[in-house]
Amino acid sequence: MSAAVTAPVAIRVHDLHKSFGPLEVLKGVSLDAREGEVISILGSSGSGKSTLLRCINMLEVPNSGTIEVAGEAIRLKTLSDGRSRPADQKQVDRIRSELGMVFQSFNLWSHKTVLENVIEAPVHVLKRPRAEAVEEAEALLAKVGIADKRNHYPSHLSGGQQQRAAIARALAMRPKAMLFDEPTSALDPELVGEVLRVMRGLAEEGRTMLVVTHEMGFARDVSSRVVFVHKGTIEEEGPPHEVFTRSKSERFRQFIKS
Amino acid sequence: MTGPGFLDIISFGPDGWGPALAAGAWMTILIAIAGFAIGGVIGTFGAWAKISGGPLLCSLAEAYTTILRGIPDLLVIYLFYFGGSAVVTAVGQLFGAEGFVSFPGFLAGALAVGITSGAQQTEVYRGAFRAVHPGEVEAATACGMGRLLKFRRITAPLTLRYALPGLGNVWQVVLKESALVSVTGVVELLRQAQIGAGSTSRPFDFFFIAAMIYLAISTVSGLVLQVTERRFSRGVRRG
Repeated sequence: MSAAVTAPVAIRVHDLHKSFGPLEVLKGVSLDAREGEVISILGSSGSGKSTLLRCINMLEVPNSGTIEVAGEAIRLKTLSDGRSRPADQKQVDRIRSELGMVFQSFNLWSHKTVLENVIEAPVHVLKRPRAEAVEEAEALLAKVGIADKRNHYPSHLSGGQQQRAAIARALAMRPKAMLFDEPTSALDPELVGEVLRVMRGLAEEGRTMLVVTHEMGFARDVSSRVVFVHKGTIEEEGPPHEVFTRSKSERFRQFIKS
Repeated sequence: MTGPGFLDIISFGPDGWGPALAAGAWMTILIAIAGFAIGGVIGTFGAWAKISGGPLLCSLAEAYTTILRGIPDLLVIYLFYFGGSAVVTAVGQLFGAEGFVSFPGFLAGALAVGITSGAQQTEVYRGAFRAVHPGEVEAATACGMGRLLKFRRITAPLTLRYALPGLGNVWQVVLKESALVSVTGVVELLRQAQIGAGSTSRPFDFFFIAAMIYLAISTVSGLVLQVTERRFSRGVRRG
């Protein structure tokens, strides 16, 4: 399942720094994700792994460093007070529409049905014809196994169903890459499996995925590469069969033992 | 000759006050709707200024709500009516008009009601916005929605859902406040009732009828509000 080393780079992160006030969360992180790669980002809480993911689509604006999506660098400008901001909001909005994000707490729009959630951005951001968007949404909902819930409101769904709906919503944008921010951490244990199965399916389709997760099984069996973030830097990185069996990092060995 | 009976007062016949009272009620509704709408626009901007405006905008909005909620509504109407008239008179003199030119009472009233209800609506919207789950707004950001689109499709409907009960209260207040506008000479329901009371020596009948009409308007609008509330809270988990 490992992506060819020659595949084009889908996402490139270079020397990323991010601070929240005096707290430096990312201290120079670089990471390339090639097309078709599934990268599991591991790390204890507070390590900066979620911040890394959220910087890629500018939900957090990094203090310095570069982000490239499909070869296009996101342009940043530095304000007079030293903070940085996107130089071109339109560019950021467009790049965001090319990245599918799945959140820990699902974040479905509670005033819209499942189907409306899935077609919302394709119709209003990408300006696709509604009928076409509905047709595609129904196929996606069938794919994640909740076609029968299309007219339900999110509040009437279980956590696992909500997360699968959120995955369908992200897929509906035909994204170049998918970003998962701890997609199973808010779920009851018995609901984790159904979401992981959907994610495994996506990985097998050859989708580019960056997954911040605590699911060691997923990291070991599904991902093509594992990245271990510790105190704002990448402490260990490599194919799962290598890092899980013979990691040079003492901290990583500790982390997977616990 | 005896005075008119109760039924004569409310009749639409030749001697009845029906048409006049209906016109007054209609004027009351117009003032309330105009005031509520103006307040809605002000409230939206006020809440926006308080939530995401800079320090200057935020303190301006704060000053506005503090002042407007702290002075009597009747006084606000006087300020608008006489203040507006002073401006209009001054402008009139520039063009050679003589004497006092009065500011249109309806406009002064609607503005005054609007600006006081705007202060209340600012607080209602601000509180409602806080109830919106930030993750839902973030999800809209993450799929590339621009500011306006995000506001129109996600933030506004979600905020409105939490704002509606509070807006219902504001509407009832606005409806009653519209009666104060009668001091500017606008013939709305209360003013019409006073006119009727003065010219027939049946004050109680007229004020009683006016009370019933106010009650009818607020009951009907209450029902409309309930339906709207149900529509906007689809998908809200209950209990």
